[in-house]
Amino acid sequence: MQRLYDSVEPRVMDEDMLKLAVGEQGPQEEAGQLARQEGILFKDVVSLRLDFQNILRIDSLWQFENLRKLQLDNNIIEKIEGLEHLVHLVWLDLSFNNIEAIEGLDTLVNLEDLSLFNNRITKIDSLDALVKLQVLSLGNNQIGNMMNIIYLRRFKDLRSLSLSGNPIAESEDYKMFICAYLPDLVYLDFRRIDDHMKELAESKHQYSIDELKHRENLIQARLDDELAWQVELEKHKAAFVEHLNGSFLFDSMYTEDVEGNKLAYLPGVGELLQGYKDKFVIICLNIFEYGLKQQEKRKLELDTFNECVKEAIQENQEQGKHRIAEFEEKHLLSLNAIREESDLTNIEVRIVEYGEDITELFNVLMTLEMQLVEQLEETINMFERNIMDLVALFIENVQSLMAQCRDLENHHHEKLLEISINTLEKILKGELDEDLPDNLRALFVDKDTIVNAVGASHDIHLLKIDNREDELVTRTNSWCAHLVDTIHKNEIMRNRRRVKEINQYIDHIQNELDNLECGDVID
Amino acid sequence: MEVLKEKVEEEEEAEREEAAERGEKMTRPLETRREEPPMTQEMLRDLEKKLSEIEIVIPEQPLIVTKDTIDISKLPLSYRSNTLKEEHLLQVADNFARQYSHLCPDRVPLFLHPLNECQVPKFVSTTIRPTLMPYPELYNWDSCAQFVSDFLSMVPLPDPLQPPSHLYSSTTVLKHQKGNCFDFSTLLCSMLIGAGYDAYCVNGYGSQDLCQMDLTRDVCPLTMKHKEVVQEEEKVPPKKYAIKPPRDLSSRFEQEQKMKKQQEIQGEKEKRWKEEEQRLLELEKAKIDPLHGLRVHAWVLVLSGKREVPESFFIDPLTARSYSTQDDHFLGIESLWNHKNYWVNMQDCWNGCKDLVFDLGDPVRWEYLLLGTDKPQLAVAEEEDDGMNDDEDMENLGKEDEDKSFDMPPSWVEQIEISPEAFETRCPNGKKVIQYKRAKLEKWAPYLNSDGLVCRLTTYEDLECTETLEIKEWYQHREDMLELKHINKNTGLNIDYFKPGHPQALCVHSYKSMQPEMDRIMEFYETARVDGLIKREETPKTMTEYYQGRSDFLSYRHVDFGDRVKKLALNSAESNPRPMVKITERFSRNPAKPADEDVAERVFLIPEERIQLRYHCRDDHITASKREFLRRTEVDSKGNKIIMTPDMCISFEVEPMEHTKKLLYQYEAMMKLKNEEKLSKHQAWESELEVLEILKLREEEEEAHTLTISIYDTKRNEKSKEYREAMERVMHEEHLRQVEAQLDYLAPFLAQLPPGEKLTRWQAARVKDECLSDFKQRLIDKANLIQARFEKETQELQKKQQWYQENQVTLTPEDEDWYLSYCSQAMFRIRILEQRLNRHKELAPLKYLALEEKLHKDPRLVDFLKVFA
Repeated sequence: MQRLYDSVEPRVMDEDMLKLAVGEQGPQEEAGQLARQEGILFKDVVSLRLDFQNILRIDSLWQFENLRKLQLDNNIIEKIEGLEHLVHLVWLDLSFNNIEAIEGLDTLVNLEDLSLFNNRITKIDSLDALVKLQVLSLGNNQIGNMMNIIYLRRFKDLRSLSLSGNPIAESEDYKMFICAYLPDLVYLDFRRIDDHMKELAESKHQYSIDELKHRENLIQARLDDELAWQVELEKHKAAFVEHLNGSFLFDSMYTEDVEGNKLAYLPGVGELLQGYKDKFVIICLNIFEYGLKQQEKRKLELDTFNECVKEAIQENQEQGKHRIAEFEEKHLLSLNAIREESDLTNIEVRIVEYGEDITELFNVLMTLEMQLVEQLEETINMFERNIMDLVALFIENVQSLMAQCRDLENHHHEKLLEISINTLEKILKGELDEDLPDNLRALFVDKDTIVNAVGASHDIHLLKIDNREDELVTRTNSWCAHLVDTIHKNEIMRNRRRVKEINQYIDHIQNELDNLECGDVID
Repeated sequence: MEVLKEKVEEEEEAEREEAAERGEKMTRPLETRREEPPMTQEMLRDLEKKLSEIEIVIPEQPLIVTKDTIDISKLPLSYRSNTLKEEHLLQVADNFARQYSHLCPDRVPLFLHPLNECQVPKFVSTTIRPTLMPYPELYNWDSCAQFVSDFLSMVPLPDPLQPPSHLYSSTTVLKHQKGNCFDFSTLLCSMLIGAGYDAYCVNGYGSQDLCQMDLTRDVCPLTMKHKEVVQEEEKVPPKKYAIKPPRDLSSRFEQEQKMKKQQEIQGEKEKRWKEEEQRLLELEKAKIDPLHGLRVHAWVLVLSGKREVPESFFIDPLTARSYSTQDDHFLGIESLWNHKNYWVNMQDCWNGCKDLVFDLGDPVRWEYLLLGTDKPQLAVAEEEDDGMNDDEDMENLGKEDEDKSFDMPPSWVEQIEISPEAFETRCPNGKKVIQYKRAKLEKWAPYLNSDGLVCRLTTYEDLECTETLEIKEWYQHREDMLELKHINKNTGLNIDYFKPGHPQALCVHSYKSMQPEMDRIMEFYETARVDGLIKREETPKTMTEYYQGRSDFLSYRHVDFGDRVKKLALNSAESNPRPMVKITERFSRNPAKPADEDVAERVFLIPEERIQLRYHCRDDHITASKREFLRRTEVDSKGNKIIMTPDMCISFEVEPMEHTKKLLYQYEAMMKLKNEEKLSKHQAWESELEVLEILKLREEEEEAHTLTISIYDTKRNEKSKEYREAMERVMHEEHLRQVEAQLDYLAPFLAQLPPGEKLTRWQAARVKDECLSDFKQRLIDKANLIQARFEKETQELQKKQQWYQENQVTLTPEDEDWYLSYCSQAMFRIRILEQRLNRHKELAPLKYLALEEKLHKDPRLVDFLKVFA
């Protein structure tokens, strides 16, 4: 349906328009009076209707943070925009506009109902973010490709779809195709799909759907694997020993080592290298397993600590609550007594008494809190000591294992040097029978060159080992420091909050008392 | 007994003396033994005198059932005579008794073969007839004992110092529902052995209370409170990071002083309490029984081992109570027996039964009558006895062989049967009363009382049972599911307990009066109620309700009522509900809402138009938000209505939020609360109505007290009985019809043909024709018969008429009457015959055709006739 919008002037979505709409659609009668008196903040608005306003461009909506339902139908909007901030949106109506492409909906993750009826859309896409989508209305558009349906398979909650009035709807197979590819769909073009139809469609398209499913399953399986691997890696990282359960470190030593790779072709070096690698990997595995074990230990320690602290805090809270409940009971009675008391001197006495009670309550609560702070401080310090010890032990052991690695490397270096010098002598004497690759032969010119080459390889290896060790140590230490820091901070925060809470409460009851006094004086 | 003889030969004089002494001791345990040295002739005379007195006290009913009530002739042969084997056994027993009396002359003669109801001596073991009852309730010893004690009524022994001369069969005892302790024991022992227990009848001596079934000094088991098992909380070892408790700054000395003082007070209290207790005990103590230790009693011993019985114990069959074998009530054992053997106690009973060892395999302690029964020889395990046993075994060797061949003959008693009616009725005439210490227990059979009362326990304040303390009444099969009624006379409090299934899901109802608006507590089965109400407590001014499992998380509602406003219009039919002053509602935490928005308590102060809200406390907070609405509708100076002002809502928020400060928010919250107040008021009003309804219903139920009858109860369920009978009738008729339908028309004709051969077509046709012609003949015969009768009647009538006309003048009025009645009868007969004839004429062709049709379809002829037709 086309409207003659040329004759009507497009309007701009401005403050006034929004205010008007909000005012009109806001509370009515007595509540409306109040609302007008106070004014309504845009961010409190939950539902907004802006239909038949000749809006050309969506704008000025960023204030409506909590909007759930937005109706912009029957306007002349050409582009979906300016909706990025409306993340709580559940219901969006953009029907009867001039939209050509679906876009700008990537932040609306809560959207359940989307209507784009009677627009100029040609392709269904850019809806990936709308994981909760249940109702999608795309009738009277220009969608011509049946393959757009397959895109909709990713919306697991989609139950209602309308596509009538599109070029694809004219195809003979239209219904069957949709029913087959979207088996969870309940309503198509606002009509219920009967089971018979579903069965028929399924049997008709079974072959292609099975293939599709298979592909989807494969992708899903791959994603799952990746996810599992990521999780595992995260675990290793938490233990600071990632990539140590294999020959990663060893391999990384040789990736940047040009000379080392060349020297591997020397006779006898192959076996040497193999033995070296095996031993190296065993040590790495030792480190890895030790790291995981230590991680478990640290976790247990932390869990026990957290549990104990929680228990302590809860107990303290219970005490506090009990005190307050006691006070409130008394307070209710005494307030009533004050109200009903007629004798002025008695009132005075009672008020003074009450004031004293308040002070006492404050003192008790604060004492409780201070006591808890002291207790917690002690516990935290103990935990800090223990966790530090654990970390230090861990680092020490890892360092000793790393030293073994270094020893291996030194040993290997010596062997390699020996072989190299032997080979050099042989070459110089011309006794070498085997052919060496040219770039390797280039190293064997004189003793310095070969010694330098071997040395360079050795340096690179040592550097790698050192780096790994440094990384491990720094990360472990920083984790520890961060942990302790957080615990301290949390404790301080907790303390601040509780003190604030107590003060607030005491202020409140004091205020109540003061008000009463004033009232009495006035009376 | 042979063993005994051997011993005689072997043992020396001294030993024999000792044994004799032991026997003597046994017969005079405890009291009598103490009095032995100063026992003089006078005392003996006194004793005798007392004895004679006691004999007088006993009602003149030496036999439990007098002979004339037992129809001996109807009893089976085994009751009236002894078999050869039984005769042999009696001889053996006599022999045993002779030797026994020779060896232990000071001991009383053994209770071996009393006479039965037919005056035939029967050995006691054969009187036990092990029977497993068909009722699952009677599988365990406690229910068995309870049944026996309920089912029979106790008759004291004719002579309390001697075992009875007669021991009737259990069947007779059951029939008459009366018996002495020996009858009780025999029956119970039969049932227990049948159920697999290792049970024995014991003949011994008991206390006076025990023998006379006097429970007035015992506390009723129903009044005893179950000791609550205190579960000790497991102490969790302190965790590594558990916080240290704050330092205790109070003085330890002061604490100690305080403790001391408290202990003193406590000690004094305890002392006083103990003294009081002592005094009471003195009061309750029984008078000293002059016959202590001499009263004969019979009871049942259950040995450990079978049916997972961990420890041997006694059962007193009269009261169905179990006692430990060390109990004070049991003062000595003469002998015991089961269905297989008989043992005599050779142990000293000076200390009652406390020192007895129930190792029946030990021949020193227990002298057995028959050898070679399967009683395990437990004593072999003990080394000291070993040598002696071996010796004896060696010497007994020769005799054992011949003895072993002889075992106990089967019981002469018929199978013990208890009819379901008798089992259900239990007590004789369905009623039994037991007097306990400060309590009286009455039992009735189910359905005996029209209100379903089955048991009543009355507790008294004093020993004489005059001041009633409380009454407990148990009911069964009530349609209103009332189970127990507890009436406390002191406080006037009535508590009714219901089983699940009351129409209003009532569980417990405690009240002082049935008037509404009084103190009462009603508890409900909350799962059966839609609103999840658990409990409703009422006082004249308040009503408190407790809920559980509601979707709106309401857990508590308390309503305070004000004084009733005087009615303006007296004639208004509507009830005048009391005005509600305050409604307090509490909610449990709704996890879907944040704590700051989840109301924990809501108080509606109705006359003040004030609403107080208290919210739930956040997890990490100690204070909770509060809000108070004052709902005054006021008018400002210009006459406009004030809708909402900031001072109408006082709130304390733990974490102040912006939107809650707004008047609009407050206004909306207040409007909502207004509605909810109405709703709460309505619900409270409905609760009141419900109370009235329940009270009315309860009154109706009390008045009607209809009993339900289980559909499985075939005897009482009238409806199902009728239905069943109707079904049976229908079945019977159906059966008759079928028999008729199966009448074989062809049988006589087929029988003429040679059997086993196949019919030819000609034969088939002939059979059919014969059958049809025969039937035709029968029809004609029948018609002729009716015709003939008809004619005969008519002729006779005519004759009579003629006779009448001839003698009309001379007839007496009686003759005339006779004639007239004859005429009318004859006319009636004639008419009937006429009708029958007509009917026959109508139906005969149809019947003929029907038969023809049937023959056509007959499977034996169908093949031939089809072609033939």
